Amino acid sequence: MGETNLLERLHTIQDTYGYISENEINKLAEQFDLPRSKIYGTIRFYSMFYTEPTGKYMVRVCDSLSCHLNDSADIVEAVKNYLGIEDGETTEDKKFTLEVVECLGHCGEGPVMMVNDKIYNYINKNRAIQILKDCL
Amino acid sequence: MANFLKDEKIIDLENYEFQALNKVLNSSALDLINDIKKADLKGRGGAGFPAGVKWELARNENADKKYVVCNADEGEPGTFKDRYLLENSPWKVLEGILISAYVIGAQKGYIYIRGEYSKPIKIFKKIIKAAENNNLLGENILGSNFDFELTLIKGAGAYICGDETSLLNSIEGRRPRSRIKPPYPIQSGLYRKPTLVNNVETLATAVEVINNGVEKYNALGTKESNGTKLISLSGQINEPGVYEIEFGSVTIKEIIEKLGKGVINNRELKFVVPGGVSTSILPREKLDILYSYEDVSDAGSSTGSGAMIAIAEGNNLIDLMLNVAEFFMSETCGTCFPCREGIRQVCYLLENAKQRGHLTNRDIELITDLSQTTYLAARCGLGQTSLNFVTSILDNYQEELLQGGGR
Repeated sequence: MGETNLLERLHTIQDTYGYISENEINKLAEQFDLPRSKIYGTIRFYSMFYTEPTGKYMVRVCDSLSCHLNDSADIVEAVKNYLGIEDGETTEDKKFTLEVVECLGHCGEGPVMMVNDKIYNYINKNRAIQILKDCL
Repeated sequence: MANFLKDEKIIDLENYEFQALNKVLNSSALDLINDIKKADLKGRGGAGFPAGVKWELARNENADKKYVVCNADEGEPGTFKDRYLLENSPWKVLEGILISAYVIGAQKGYIYIRGEYSKPIKIFKKIIKAAENNNLLGENILGSNFDFELTLIKGAGAYICGDETSLLNSIEGRRPRSRIKPPYPIQSGLYRKPTLVNNVETLATAVEVINNGVEKYNALGTKESNGTKLISLSGQINEPGVYEIEFGSVTIKEIIEKLGKGVINNRELKFVVPGGVSTSILPREKLDILYSYEDVSDAGSSTGSGAMIAIAEGNNLIDLMLNVAEFFMSETCGTCFPCREGIRQVCYLLENAKQRGHLTNRDIELITDLSQTTYLAARCGLGQTSLNFVTSILDNYQEELLQGGGR
């Protein structure tokens, strides 16, 4: 394997299409001269790469220890109820995908939620829902 | 209060003087390594390996190509001090990378920032561009004969990449599982070349050691813990945030009460996680100890990454244990069987106990066994430390857990 970075390519595809399709995996396999299974195995290892289309807004709610101690579980419930989906699911209109995630590195400002690239600190149930409403 | 690392925010290049780098480019690399060794700078990512020794070993390797990697894959719950440095002192971090590369003779390096850190990634992309335009990266850096190229790698959500061997696999585009050591990355790392991996804070601290001189730096701290450490304070505490602490100058209790202004809603403190969720908890009776590598270690835990989490009375302990165990279950790389299956079984037992409302003696026996096995059999530090939180709660609050787990 040379120094051309597969990880960087995966990011580019993910950012462009919102997921990494089978067609793209085939192309990468050829380009990097690797079995498709290897590419697939690498993709699936990471939580920020997807092999299926996701919603326009990727909603990540942290439930790791520091946020959990500040009642992030309640926020997870509120977001689930509002969107009508479970962890890992996408709304029917393809607007939102919800993920309950591990630490986002803003533990001193929790509970924390991330929508696409943007971090929201010190959220509560009402604010979380308002943030989702503001996306539309 | 010391402030080497918790400095004023500098983003514009014209406001930053590369004092340490200039000094280094005009002095011998061996002297510099000796300074870092004398400062006894321990790796700030969590494992605490002496940075000077690592630098010396990397320098002594003979190879046509060497790499340096800055590990900014900060992912342990409770830790956010590297993000603080990347957002507030990116030039200092860059300076640390350049110095480490110069000292070991590397011409190519990477900074690996976790994918969730959008803001630090944006900042560092700009830093690299500006550095390239101002002769801080590229050929003949600052008029010297030192050439160096730096590439930013964006992670994609995997805690295991904080382990240096997994990080290297990730950069190479492989599935980021840990590698068997030896060979150590110093001998055979990235693309099988000698590779020096350092944590963000370690590199920034190296810059401060050079700026201030070893004597001044070593005047701070204790016998075995020189200088200062960044602490990420979080949990059920009034004033969470990043604090810079001189080793040995305050007790953990004082950190919680004076810096953190105590537990929220006037609740009583139950225990503290002193170094991130991979370290053992310290019950409130044991918090009258100075904050230093040796004192925390003597108390049965570790300073880890410096992530201190305060936990009040009144939480459901089984729920907290399950929360941490689930983190490690989803973040294990799955290579070592005991880590992959052991943590899963611990989660299963805790899940049942949570439903039931208390642990049984049999649960405690099984969880202890599984933790021991995982500790002994996992090949990387992340696996070995994965159940410290769970077992230390078992050790300290056994009676309570058998009764009902804190509620």
